[in-house]
Amino acid sequence: MTARVVVTGYGAVAPNGLDADAFWKSTVEGKSGIETIRSFDVSGFPVRVAGEVRGFDAKKFVSNPKSLKVMGKNIRFGVAAAQMAMENAGLRERAPDPTRFGVTVGSGIVPTDVEEIGAAVMASLDEQGRFDVRRFGEGGQKQLFPLWLLKHLPNMVAAHISILHNAQGPNNTITTACSASTQAIGEAFRILARGDADVMLAGGADSRIDPLSLVAYTLLGAVSTASRPPEKVSRPFDRARDGFVLGEGAAMLVLETEAHARSRGATILAEVTGYGSSFDAYGITKPEPEGRGAVQAMERALKDARTATDEVDYISAHGTSTVLNDKMETVAIKALFRDRARRVPLSSIKSMIGHLIGAAGAMEFLVSVLAIRDGVVPPTINLDTPDPDCDLDYVPNTARAMKVRCVLSNSFGFGGQNAALVVREFRG
Amino acid sequence: MTERRVVVTGLGLVTPLGTGVRRNWQRMLEGASGVGTITRFDVSTMGVRIAAEVRPLPRVPEDARTEWLGIHSRFALVAGREAWADSGLGDARPDPRRVGVFLGSGKGIIDIGWLVEPLKAAMRAGRLDYAELMRKGLGEWSGDRREQEDYHRSGGHLAAAVGAEGPNWVCITACAAGNHAIGEAYGAIRHGEVDAVLAGGTHSQIDLMSLSGYATLGALSPNNEEPEKASRPFDRKRDGFILGEGAGVLVLEEYGHARRRGARVRAELIGYGNTADAYRVTDPRPDGIGAENAMRLALASARLAPSDVQYINAHGTSTQQNDLMETEAIKRIFGPRGTAPPVSSTKSMIGHLIAAAGAVEAVACVRALEEQVLPPTINLEHPDPACDLDYVPNRPREAKLAHAMNNSFGFGGQNIVTIFRRFEG
Repeated sequence: MTARVVVTGYGAVAPNGLDADAFWKSTVEGKSGIETIRSFDVSGFPVRVAGEVRGFDAKKFVSNPKSLKVMGKNIRFGVAAAQMAMENAGLRERAPDPTRFGVTVGSGIVPTDVEEIGAAVMASLDEQGRFDVRRFGEGGQKQLFPLWLLKHLPNMVAAHISILHNAQGPNNTITTACSASTQAIGEAFRILARGDADVMLAGGADSRIDPLSLVAYTLLGAVSTASRPPEKVSRPFDRARDGFVLGEGAAMLVLETEAHARSRGATILAEVTGYGSSFDAYGITKPEPEGRGAVQAMERALKDARTATDEVDYISAHGTSTVLNDKMETVAIKALFRDRARRVPLSSIKSMIGHLIGAAGAMEFLVSVLAIRDGVVPPTINLDTPDPDCDLDYVPNTARAMKVRCVLSNSFGFGGQNAALVVREFRG
Repeated sequence: MTERRVVVTGLGLVTPLGTGVRRNWQRMLEGASGVGTITRFDVSTMGVRIAAEVRPLPRVPEDARTEWLGIHSRFALVAGREAWADSGLGDARPDPRRVGVFLGSGKGIIDIGWLVEPLKAAMRAGRLDYAELMRKGLGEWSGDRREQEDYHRSGGHLAAAVGAEGPNWVCITACAAGNHAIGEAYGAIRHGEVDAVLAGGTHSQIDLMSLSGYATLGALSPNNEEPEKASRPFDRKRDGFILGEGAGVLVLEEYGHARRRGARVRAELIGYGNTADAYRVTDPRPDGIGAENAMRLALASARLAPSDVQYINAHGTSTQQNDLMETEAIKRIFGPRGTAPPVSSTKSMIGHLIAAAGAVEAVACVRALEEQVLPPTINLEHPDPACDLDYVPNRPREAKLAHAMNNSFGFGGQNIVTIFRRFEG
């Protein structure tokens, strides 16, 4: 016997909204959060735009200044989203049994604070200007913030959330790049279904908008170098797409067993019914062109949900705006949905917020839940020039009101890790 | 529906004691130490100058194909290939979609040498010109290399090496990650998602930045004079852990799947517990409630009473706090010395492999069950009145054991416990 798992709360910090409701309103309105990067000087650099979170005040969520000092940007976003999710679920007043309450977070690479490391490196140069390990030991390392490790360890998002909400149950951090938070939600689903917890906070938090990461992604040739107006650069499925745009933020969901949600009279937003993941080895940044792994992840999630492709009303696409992903995803959906492929609307919110990497899947899952609740699916903006290789219904440019009972939410990772979730309208 | 059982059909190790399970087990029973002065970079001015290094670094076929391979991927490939070959699963041609990879994995090492030239070019009157840094970086750095250092690459490389197309999952719950991967793989096999998983952990943090970071936190033993004596779990003179590196990988398989192909079953995995301290990001709960609850959950899921466990492979890091907290938690469940089973820490020999630690220790549990012998805690010379269990001091010991428990408690408060059973059909 496995327990049914429902969604009862959500919180988010996004480039186009500082809380989940603002994010959802902007997203349905087709409002982009992508602008010229302001947090550091990008003049003269080929990539100048990103989905930065602006005007976010972490102090609203973390009262202890000492805690704030050891929280990198991604940790701050994650902690804020988790707190809003707990409030939204009505769990702030009535906390769950701590031992039956866990946290799973998709998170990312060590954010590299170049200002801090830079000072340490510069203080370690010898007379010839070469990096000297001995000088690092003598003095260079003193330039580092003594607790820098804590600021940057990826498991610290989940650790801080567990401390702030006294969540003593299963606690995990998944780091499979673009699929990380979809896998984190999938794992929380499994933990609840098998009875190892009553409530899970699950989602993702990430920030890679820093000079070093921007250079690295540019070198990989994966981010767009287009010189368009910033809000026009991310254009999934459009013929003129030429790479993704980095975004940052966090989305956290409260997942709960149905029995627990009912016992406390919670508002049930949707039911998680399936999760699947797969791997396809291919190029370092290139998906397998036939989308074998993508098909397999979607197929497994649907099978797990005992759901036929006919029942899927909407697909929250991975849709990164790279030439290869969007074509592959289209091919994969056609392979799986066959005749019905053109009649299932799908859209990519990455057109508005960019690619949040470790948090992308959680954002897209949140959108899936809210689409079910509100009967509206968000658009893919900037879809101006149809691509003959991308010939499905991507909900171009304008949101669509429609009954949404069942959503498939896709994440296909850089490096071959794929994952998908199925979420449905809750029927008691 | 009958319950799906999970068995171990393959093992692989690379640790500071050597490459391969056979070599490692032999050296563990000898009570050998893999700790020494760091050779990988000049540590003459560092406060802590010791670690347990893998020497020489193993080479893998991927070296010929990849511009750069992260050290975490390298270790995972070596231990993973050994486990895969040991299991014989490749010859049985399993459905690749039903074979997964679950790893606790660190990223590759944190290197800062590549920053030097761009930084020099971009430093103007003590201030960093980001635009210049990035322009220079574009000419000097390798995006491929940075990407290859990312956490999830280890899981990808291992899956590609053996053709595993099922779920591919990489976690980092600090020091608990390897054991965590084993526990979640156990869940995935029982749930029916997969028939077999390469599960374990891989990590190295023996780099300048990490060494400096952990030393600043006061977590490392500064015993530079006697490196092989520095890791001394449960000893009164313990003063911090020793960074180790390497990987441990197990092939976990659904029992019916293993039986049908006539596989050699090495042990059965029967219990898993997962909790968080929710206390502090730097310290374990002094009351050890999180650790205790993880052990209790694992016992309950294995349907065992405490008296059924004959050996505990401790987290035993050699820090004052962990070893005391762990001892207290064990005593609350298993009773005092005499009633509680023997406990040992293989970290005394190989140091702390962080994300790989729990996986290497799981392999040690399986070997202990197979050979009916307990690996020792070396350097236990000064009994600590507060740590008063039987830690199998300094010499291995023959024992009759049916069940072994593997404890892993992560920095940040994640507690993972697994339980293995001697396999007798």
